[in-house]
Amino acid sequence: MASEDPKPSPKDPENPDENGQNVDGIFSPRFKSVAAMAGWDEETLLIASLVVEDTPDRESKYKKRSDSQFKTPPTNSRRKRRYQRRSPISIPASVLDLDEEETARKESEKSKSEIKASVNDEKKIGAKESPEQNTLVSRSSSVLPCIDKLKEELSCAICLEICFEPSTTPCGHSFCKKCLRSAADKCGKRCPKCRQLISNGRSCTVNTVLWNTIQLLFPQEVEARKAAGALNGRETVCQSPETAFYDNLNQSTRASGISIRDTNARRRRGIILSQDEDVAASSALRSQRGVEGQNQIPERGVHRDVRNLSTRPSRVSSRDTRVTRRRGIPSQDEDAALALRLQREEFLEVFSGADAQPSRPLYSARANLRAMASRAVNLRIIGRHL
Amino acid sequence: MMISGGRGGKSAPSASSSPSVSSTTTSWAVSASGKRIQREMAELNLDPPPDCSAGPKGDNLYHWVATILGPQGTPYEGGIYFLDITFPSDYPFKPPKVVFKTRIFHCNVDTAGVLSLDILKDSWSPALTITKVLLAIRAIFTNPDPSDNPIIPGIARLYLADRAKHDELAAEWTRRFAK
Repeated sequence: MASEDPKPSPKDPENPDENGQNVDGIFSPRFKSVAAMAGWDEETLLIASLVVEDTPDRESKYKKRSDSQFKTPPTNSRRKRRYQRRSPISIPASVLDLDEEETARKESEKSKSEIKASVNDEKKIGAKESPEQNTLVSRSSSVLPCIDKLKEELSCAICLEICFEPSTTPCGHSFCKKCLRSAADKCGKRCPKCRQLISNGRSCTVNTVLWNTIQLLFPQEVEARKAAGALNGRETVCQSPETAFYDNLNQSTRASGISIRDTNARRRRGIILSQDEDVAASSALRSQRGVEGQNQIPERGVHRDVRNLSTRPSRVSSRDTRVTRRRGIPSQDEDAALALRLQREEFLEVFSGADAQPSRPLYSARANLRAMASRAVNLRIIGRHL
Repeated sequence: MMISGGRGGKSAPSASSSPSVSSTTTSWAVSASGKRIQREMAELNLDPPPDCSAGPKGDNLYHWVATILGPQGTPYEGGIYFLDITFPSDYPFKPPKVVFKTRIFHCNVDTAGVLSLDILKDSWSPALTITKVLLAIRAIFTNPDPSDNPIIPGIARLYLADRAKHDELAAEWTRRFAK
């Protein structure tokens, strides 16, 4: 709270004349600080306030012009105007209200963005936003002295915590959506509070106004509930760790395949990459592998020849980690299948390495590969001789 | 809490009679019901209902002991009544089991201490709490319910026919068992 209302606006400290004092009179320091956060300086604020004061007048002018340009007697409009001129006297109070509204709107925007972000990355946001939440809570608790009563009022009678995604019954009682649903399932379709029949307990809809209010008033509690819910969800996932693992595995291998293909595409500038070509490439690789098998050349020989040596180590390491992760699985078939897949990937990589020279047509790739393989053989032989 | 000190001997049979709940439940149910029970415990400590107290018997959150002081102006005045409360694993959705451990002369409490209280049976609502249950029990001390399925019809008949005799007997039982 103390950090929230700096007396002089940080935006223009060199403007402490009557104007500034005037502004001081009209706006509360909190409003000014919020405005400063929004990037408004006091001049624009003042102008804005003038506009606000003017608006009713203008509206009346518009009205006069549009619907009763010739009919209305001038006295009437003057009286109206006088009435509206008197209204600025009462504005300070309403400005205070506006201040609250402004902050509330800001909070709502903030919380909305929080919600969105929390879907993506809960932990990060939680760590980042916690100080802001603290200020929010302190602000709301200072603004609303009856926060405890509010808490009681907004808590679910079933779980006794702040309503999470509140759902309101036809009889007007609100509970957590989840609580109401399980109450309807286990205790019959009657309102837990007044025992009135709940006509359709299945279609529990969230009372959005109430839910937004709760999120504004108790962001910390809501965050905690969310985190707990996420934890529960994670637990249920953990109940089937094997399936989760396989899913992960498939995704990672798929991703790596895509990335390799991407790099291929990028390297062969101007050449259209199609599935058929891929197949051809893999067959070429297979033939190359046959050559290797005959000559008993380790793969390293080939790789030495290939010029993408720099990219190799990182990929190898990632693959290694994947292999070590896989050790948890007892099934050997899976291991073998994965080894095959990895080998294929490796060959694809080699192929892409062979293509490293730009602007070379693809149909020459096969020949190039063969040449490379024979070169590798030669190299190997030379090496042996040396 | 005053309960744990006062009655060492009586807790042994009750512990054997009530099943241990926590072992039979799924993890979600335990956490949800456990959370709710913890909340109720905190609320009870903050704002206890008049003449009532309640709390877990030991480490098991699902097994409580409660006391109700006999309300003034009733034949149960001056008596301290102990109750065993066992929470089911799906607690707010199923009623807790409440059993009198102290003998009482009452048309709604049978010899085993079982209560005939509608909110502990069909009329249970997940919005009810132990505080409300205790207050309801305290209410039947002052206003026994002999007409609506009394569990001991003899006492109910006596209550309706000869209230003085009933009160005398009830006071006698209070002296003998509840002090």
